[in-house]
Amino acid sequence: MPKTDMPSGALVLLILRVLRSGALHGYAIAQRIHALSSEVLRVEEGSLYPALQKILLKGWVTAEWGISETNRKVRFYRLTPAGRKQLEAELSEYGRVNEAIQAVLRTA
Amino acid sequence: MKQFIRRLRYLLHRRRFDRELANDLEFHREMAERAGKPLAHTLLLREEARDAWGWTWIDRIAQDVRYAARMLRRSPGFTAAAVLMLALGIGVNVAAFGFFDLMFLRPLPVRDPGSLLRFDRSAPQGYADNFMYPEVAFYREHSRTLSAVLASGDAKVTIEGDDRQLAARFATANFFSELGARARLGRLLDPGRDEASDAGPVVVLGEGLWQRHFGADPLIVGKTILLNGNPATVIGVVSSEFSGLGLGTPDLWAPINQQPYFVKGSRLTDFSDSGIGVFMWGRLQAGLTPKVSEEELMSLAAELHRQHPKDVWEKEGLPSKPGGYANSIRHEMVPVLALVGALGLLILGAVCGNLGSLLLARGVAREREIAIRVAVGAGRGRLIRQLFTESLVLALLGSAAGLALGYVVQRFLLAWAEVPVWLDATPDRRVMLFAIGMGFAAAIMFGLTPAWQAARQRHRATITRQFLVGTQVAASCVLLIVAGLLVRALNRAMFENRGFEYQHVISIDPHFHGNSSAEARAYLDTLENRLRGLPGVDAVSMVSNPPLGNRWTVFKSEVAGHAVSIHYNHVDPPFFQTMQIPLLRGRNLIRGDLRAIVVGESLARLQWPADDPVGKLFRNGADTYTVVGVVGSARLVSPEDSDAVEIYQLASGDILPSMMVLVKTSGPPEGLVQVVASVAKAIAPKLFPEVQLLKGAFRDKLQTAEYSALAVSLLGAVALLLAGAGIVGLVAYGVTQRTKEIGIRMALGARPAHVLAVVLRQFAIPVAAGLLAGVGGAAALSQILRQLLYGVSNLDPMAYVGAVGVFAVAVVVAALLPARRALRVDPIRALRYE
Repeated sequence: MPKTDMPSGALVLLILRVLRSGALHGYAIAQRIHALSSEVLRVEEGSLYPALQKILLKGWVTAEWGISETNRKVRFYRLTPAGRKQLEAELSEYGRVNEAIQAVLRTA
Repeated sequence: MKQFIRRLRYLLHRRRFDRELANDLEFHREMAERAGKPLAHTLLLREEARDAWGWTWIDRIAQDVRYAARMLRRSPGFTAAAVLMLALGIGVNVAAFGFFDLMFLRPLPVRDPGSLLRFDRSAPQGYADNFMYPEVAFYREHSRTLSAVLASGDAKVTIEGDDRQLAARFATANFFSELGARARLGRLLDPGRDEASDAGPVVVLGEGLWQRHFGADPLIVGKTILLNGNPATVIGVVSSEFSGLGLGTPDLWAPINQQPYFVKGSRLTDFSDSGIGVFMWGRLQAGLTPKVSEEELMSLAAELHRQHPKDVWEKEGLPSKPGGYANSIRHEMVPVLALVGALGLLILGAVCGNLGSLLLARGVAREREIAIRVAVGAGRGRLIRQLFTESLVLALLGSAAGLALGYVVQRFLLAWAEVPVWLDATPDRRVMLFAIGMGFAAAIMFGLTPAWQAARQRHRATITRQFLVGTQVAASCVLLIVAGLLVRALNRAMFENRGFEYQHVISIDPHFHGNSSAEARAYLDTLENRLRGLPGVDAVSMVSNPPLGNRWTVFKSEVAGHAVSIHYNHVDPPFFQTMQIPLLRGRNLIRGDLRAIVVGESLARLQWPADDPVGKLFRNGADTYTVVGVVGSARLVSPEDSDAVEIYQLASGDILPSMMVLVKTSGPPEGLVQVVASVAKAIAPKLFPEVQLLKGAFRDKLQTAEYSALAVSLLGAVALLLAGAGIVGLVAYGVTQRTKEIGIRMALGARPAHVLAVVLRQFAIPVAAGLLAGVGGAAALSQILRQLLYGVSNLDPMAYVGAVGVFAVAVVVAALLPARRALRVDPIRALRYE
C-alpha cells in the first residue's frame, strides 16, 4: 500500500491545530486529521507518536489522564500557551509560504 | 534550556513515561482493532516514539556493554591475556605519568599551594635562582601584592655527640604558619616571638633527627642543645608529614635571622652578591595576578638598585613561577621527559598491535555470529559500535589493572629511593583520568580497525594484520635499539679509558661554611702540604667541581654548529698530574695566571679546527681569557654527557671556600683513606671534611646507568616477545588460510623451500617496513639520549646491528615455527578438504 507521507513539520502543525479546540487522545488526533482532510491525509502511527513525544518535549502540549469514549484511562493532549503561540507563528508562516507558492504557480 | 530539563526528566523517570506511552499505544491498538484496521507491532512503535526523547543511545550503550561483558566472560583465556597485556602497556605509562604528576603537577601538601609563587632574579646581566637575604627582607617589608614573603637557606651544622654534618634550614619565622605545618611536639617558629632582635636562639627539630639522635625523647621541648657549639633552645619537633617547599628534608630548622649566630663568619646579612643565597617565595594577595606582583617587585628592585647599585642588578626583575609544587619543569628536562613518554607509548603501541591481531583472529572465529547479525538487520555502524564496545570494555579493564600495576611499581621505586614520607604514590584524579584516557586511546588503536573489518565481513584481507605486525616490529625495534645503546654506554663506561685517573684517587670535601677565602686558602695550602708529605701519595691538587661528583658549573652552548655543555672547573697547577690528564699542547696553568685557561682537546678541535689553539682568546661573558694549553678530553664531572667539553682556570678568591682536594695514591687508595681523613680533621677541628674514594663515586654513577639500561632492556624484551607472538599468529593464520593452495603447489612438485617462500612472502614486507621505521625512529629518538651515553654515538652501529640482529633471529624463529606446518600439508587431504 503506497503511503502518502507527510512532512513532519506539517504533521506538527496539523496536530497543534486540531488540539486548538480542546484536548484529544492520540487516536482521536489521527481520526480528526483524517476526517477533516476529507479522508485524504492519513496519519501513520509510526509518525504520530514520535511527533507527539517531540511536541511534549518542546512544551507545546501537556498530557493529562482522562477517560476515553470506550471508558478507558488514557492520556489526553492539551495545547499549552506556548503551543498556542507556536501554532499562531506556524500558521502565519504557512500562510505566507502558501501565498508565495500560489503566486508563483499562478504567474509562472 | 527548559527543554533540556524536560528531556532530563524523561531520562530520570524513564520507566513512568514509558508506561504511559505504552498505554497510549495499547489504547490506539484497541481503537484501531474496533475500526477493523488492526495495528501489528506496538513495541516497535513504542521504540520509535521513544527515540524522540533522545536517550536511546544510553540504552544502546548499556545493552552493548552488557553484551560485551557476556562475550568476554565466555572466553576467559582471551580476556585474561588481553587485560594482562594492556595492564603492562598502560601500567608502564601510568607509572611514568605518576612520577611526572608527583614532581610537577601535584600541589604540595601545604596550605593553599595555589597562591604560592617562587621567585628568581633576572636582569640583562645575569640570572639567579637565589637572593641575597637583605634583598628578600626588603621585599618582605615593602611588598603590598604579597600577603607573605617566605625565604629559606640551607647550611651544614653539627650538634654535640654526632660527627655527621646535619642539614639545617634557616627559614623566615612565618614559614611554618604560612604553610600550615603541624608540630609533632611543642611549637613551631612564630614570627611574633622568634624574629624579634632580642629573641633567644631557638631550633625546631625534624621528626627524623628527633627519633634518630634524641631517641624520640618526649621531654625534648625546652632543652638546650649545642649547634656548631652554640647553645639553642629546642622549641618543638615538626612532623615528617610536612613537605616544606621542595623535595629535600632538612634535619632541623632555625629562624633565618639567627643564622649568623649559628654559622661562624656568615655573610647572610651582608648586602653582597657573594653572600649566601636564599630562596624566596611569596603568597599572592587574593584576587591579584602574578603579573601585578612581578611589576611591583620590579619597581621595588629598581629602588633597591639605587641604594645598592653594585649588588642589585640594573633592571633587575623577579620572574615568578607557581611555588606550590615539588619541582618545576625546567627547559633541559623536556627532552628526557619526552623520551620517557615516547618509550612508554612505544610499549603501549606494541601491545595494541598484538591485541589488534588477536581481535582480528577472533573476528574470523565470530564470522558466523556476525553474518547472523547482519542477516537480522544489524547495520554496519551498529555492528562496529558493538564490537568496539567490546574493545572499550577490555581497554578499561586494562586501565584499571594498569593503574594498580603502575601504583605498585611507583610504590616500590619510591620506597627504594627513600623519598620523604609525604610523597604519596596513591593515584590522584589526574593519574586516574590519564589511565582512563590511555585505555580509550588503546581501544582506538587496537579495536577500531578489527571492528571495522569484522563488520564489513572482509577480514580475509590480510593488509590490516600486516600493518599491525609492522607497527609492532617498529615499536619493539626502537625499544631494542635504545636498550642496545644504553647497554653499550654502560659497557663503555665500565671498561673504557675515561681520559682521567679515578681508581687511585681520594677526594676530600672540607665542607667550609662561612669561611673567608683567606681562611680557606690557609686550610687548603696546609692540607695539600701535609698530604704531599705522606708516603704513598703521588700528587695532591684542588678542584672546585670534583670529578664524578654532583656539583658542576656548566653552560649549554653551541660551537661551530655542535651542541656542547661547557664544564668550567677551577683547579690548581698540579691538577692535571693528579688526575693523569695529558698535556697535549702549550703549558700548564701557573700561580698568578688569572687570565689564562686550559681547554680540553674536544673543545679546542671544535672551536679552532684549523689553528693552534694556544694563544687564542676565549670570551666568557664580560671576561676574556687566553688559552695557554690544551689537555686531553676528560669528561670529569658528567662522563655520561657526550657533549661535555672542559675549560680549566686557576682557583682564587671567592671560589676557594668551595674547593675540594684530590689525592692520587701510588698504590691501592683504600689503606690511605683513614690517614687522609685524620690529617684533614687535625688542621681545623671545627670542620668536618668528607673523605671518599673516587671509585665509589664512579660506582654510584654507574648504578643509574645500570638501572636505566636494565629497565629499557626489560621493556625491549617484552616488546620483542609481543612482536614474536604477533608474527607467529600472522604466519599460522596465513598457512591455515592457504592450505589448499599449498597442497596444489606440492602436488605439482613444488620444493619445500619454494613453499616456505610462498608462505613467508606476505609478511616479509611488513617486517621489513617495520624494521626500517624502527631504525629511523630510534635514530631520531636517541638524539635526546646523547647526554647520557658516556660518549657512545647515538648512531652507534654496534647497537643498531646488534638490536636488529636479535630482532631478525627472533622473527625467523617466530615465522618458522608455524611455517613448518605448511611443509607437512598432505596434498591429497588438502585437496579433498571442503
